[in-house]
Amino acid sequence: MKSMKTTCKYNAEVAVLGGGIIGCSIAYNLARRGTKVILMEKSLIGCESSGCNSGGVRQQNRDSRELPLAMESVKLWENLESELDFDVEYTQGGNIMPFINEDELDFARGTCQKELEAGLEVEIWNRSDLRKRAPYIRDVFIGAKYCASDGNANPLLATRAFGWAAKKEGVTILSNTKAESIEIHDGRVISVTGVDKKGEIVIVEAPIVIHACGAWTPLLSETIGLKVPVQPLRHVILVTQRMTPFFTEYIHAELYGEMAKPALTSSINQKEQIGIGIRPARQGHVHIGGISTPDTFDQSAPADAIEYLARGAAIMMPALRDASILRAWSRQLEYTPDRLPIIGGVDGIAGYFLAAGFSGHGFCLGPIIGKLVTELILDGEASMPLHDFRFSRFQENGGISIDERRLVRA
Amino acid sequence: MEHIEVAIVGAGPGGMSAALTLAEEGVEVAIIDNNPTPGGQYYRQTYINNTTKKLKPHQQEGVELRRKLHDSKIRYFSKTNVWGTFEQKILALDGPGAPPALEAEAIVLATGAFERTIAFPGWTLPGVITIGAAQILNENNVSPGKRVLISGTGPLLVVLASELIHAGIEVIGVLEGSNLLPRAIKHLGALFGQKERLKEGIGSWISLQKHRIPYRLGCSVCFARGEDHLKEVTFCHLDNDWKPIPGSEETVSCDTLCIGYGFIPFNALSVTLGVEQEWDPFNACYIPKRNMFMETNIKGVYSIGDGTSIGGARLALLEGQIAGVAAAQQLGKSKKHPEKYISGIATALSRERRFKKMYTDIFTPGFGIYELSEENTILCRCEGITTADIRRAIDLGADTSGEIKIITRAGMGDCQGRMCSHLIANIVARETNKSLLEVGQFQPRPPVFPVPIENLCLSVDKSAGKMG
Repeated sequence: MKSMKTTCKYNAEVAVLGGGIIGCSIAYNLARRGTKVILMEKSLIGCESSGCNSGGVRQQNRDSRELPLAMESVKLWENLESELDFDVEYTQGGNIMPFINEDELDFARGTCQKELEAGLEVEIWNRSDLRKRAPYIRDVFIGAKYCASDGNANPLLATRAFGWAAKKEGVTILSNTKAESIEIHDGRVISVTGVDKKGEIVIVEAPIVIHACGAWTPLLSETIGLKVPVQPLRHVILVTQRMTPFFTEYIHAELYGEMAKPALTSSINQKEQIGIGIRPARQGHVHIGGISTPDTFDQSAPADAIEYLARGAAIMMPALRDASILRAWSRQLEYTPDRLPIIGGVDGIAGYFLAAGFSGHGFCLGPIIGKLVTELILDGEASMPLHDFRFSRFQENGGISIDERRLVRA
Repeated sequence: MEHIEVAIVGAGPGGMSAALTLAEEGVEVAIIDNNPTPGGQYYRQTYINNTTKKLKPHQQEGVELRRKLHDSKIRYFSKTNVWGTFEQKILALDGPGAPPALEAEAIVLATGAFERTIAFPGWTLPGVITIGAAQILNENNVSPGKRVLISGTGPLLVVLASELIHAGIEVIGVLEGSNLLPRAIKHLGALFGQKERLKEGIGSWISLQKHRIPYRLGCSVCFARGEDHLKEVTFCHLDNDWKPIPGSEETVSCDTLCIGYGFIPFNALSVTLGVEQEWDPFNACYIPKRNMFMETNIKGVYSIGDGTSIGGARLALLEGQIAGVAAAQQLGKSKKHPEKYISGIATALSRERRFKKMYTDIFTPGFGIYELSEENTILCRCEGITTADIRRAIDLGADTSGEIKIITRAGMGDCQGRMCSHLIANIVARETNKSLLEVGQFQPRPPVFPVPIENLCLSVDKSAGKMG
């Protein structure tokens, strides 16, 4: 006979699933407005992509539909440390996107024009501007696009700071508790059932469930017969030993051809192009991120990825050749077919809301998404339009619109 | 990519023994070692080509092994780190003369251990060094200091004292943390057949007696003082749990303090390879799990010696032979039956395992020793993280080593937490009333050793042409 497992029962007005920056920010904002929230996290707060990402807080070169959210979010980032009462190492050090050929320059000019129209202050640097403004970038780059109000933060701390602030506001955080099913009655969400580390069953009864489980979202949504088009993606990040700080900007570039050729790789499948992001962390370490391996939950950081990224970074910034790689890890990203997030409810399942599929751009958006989803739930409507991120776009006539060029950069 | 039948990581007693066993069976072997010459820590003494000094028996043995290695066809990559793995049997190397990657059919991990240090106020002062560091200095005719106090646990304390005395250095005392006599009596049988060890032990002991150097049982340093260099040390008595007994303090003046509280297996590479680990409650760390043939859960990956479980050089030599025979048979190169081979060396094996048990029982520090650190004592030296910093993170809800690392940066420095992992785990366990197993250790991340980007570029420059 099967032994009876102990069951722990909770009830709340809102159950948030997923302790990443999105889930924590939503829980925090809801609780601040007096909502009783329980947050369920399969491991610990900020242990997946929200904590392990490359820490960019970027507005430029986003999909035009996402740009207003990013701009609004940066306004929140500017006050975040005092609001959360924690130093998350946020710096508006700028964001440089150097480019190597005329084709990229043309594309950047077009993007720049659109972004200026949207109210984002960006500039195009020619070769001599780039030499002057960022002499540490290798002179093979013919120019760059620059956004001064972009920046970076420490993702390990920022995500946790949201979690701690949520807790202070009264959110119950059930960590090491994996949500296994969502129960529906009469077309309404009624509860979530999970299992904790000891194997005990945990039931959270709530009329509203917010599903913010990143790459893992589709696994749980299947329990209510919903197919959420989110795919896992692995991204590798390296960190160097401390260097004397010599730049403040987050730098992202694409390398092509001979420069992007991996030397010894066997497992990495790159088409002679590699996108590399470089972030200066507060204490002088330099973070180097890139190499997307789709459709895997494998979170190892193989030596070929380390070698490939380190070499690419040294091509972009020769001074990095003097540094040593201290650590490497991978983060579990996810992506949707159009690389835009899914935010909002789902027809036919009352009380069920998605906030997932941020496709590697979610860290910057964390603060604003918490605010908007809270408005959506408590006020019935968010103060910024979320129509472009509706779940139903995947089923509608005409389907989704994809900016192929931007997918490469995603 | 270069290919080899068996790659051995580490050229200490275990690694050399495995290599020679394999080579004898006609297997193609490469040893990758981060030291300049083979021998590991145990045979390191033989660095010095000092022909005037009479070699100790184990040094003689080291010279012999190195000669055999030299005369064999074994490839030896010195000053080379294995910093990661490409795929399970492809090692990433960083060293002069070593290829950037080496593909092997089998791998023997003989990575050894590192010294366990304990944190107490003043332990970061210049003049406080580990026993291993003192030995290296002394062997290279550099005096570690003028007035030396030795504190820690294990036979090495006495060995170091005797070596320093021979070099004409004043040793003012040896503090052995273990109250070893009551425990040792139980294990007298374990000394049976340990002629060489006894001889060295007794020899060192006699030189201590001859020079009237106090050897105190159940004592440990608890405080070190000095402005910019060590000036004086306070020590105290320890209870059975190695907890400092208040009021038992005594203070002595010295300029050098050598500390060593045993060893911790170095498991980072086996973790990187994906080898299944098991919890070692004595050392409060994970160690590679293996079967009687020294093979891990990954077929063709073997783990031997102190890098797996602290058992000393003699046991490592035997484990190297077993792994060698087993790997040779697995590769179809030898008809020797590993099981039969093990029965053939059963007497020696059980003798060494008895000794290992005795060593572990007598010389594993009790958890009380971790109470020596105070609020402002630095625990993570790389990042400058104190006990108070750890406590603040605990207040924020951290109750595992992993969370402490993320919040405080402890263990994120160059040594990857090799030095502080056990210090921090013990404090977290104590403060949160959790077991060390629940608290866990810092997760080793690749690269296993910091790897210069320059070196990664060099390997690429050669193969892919000059970069743009």
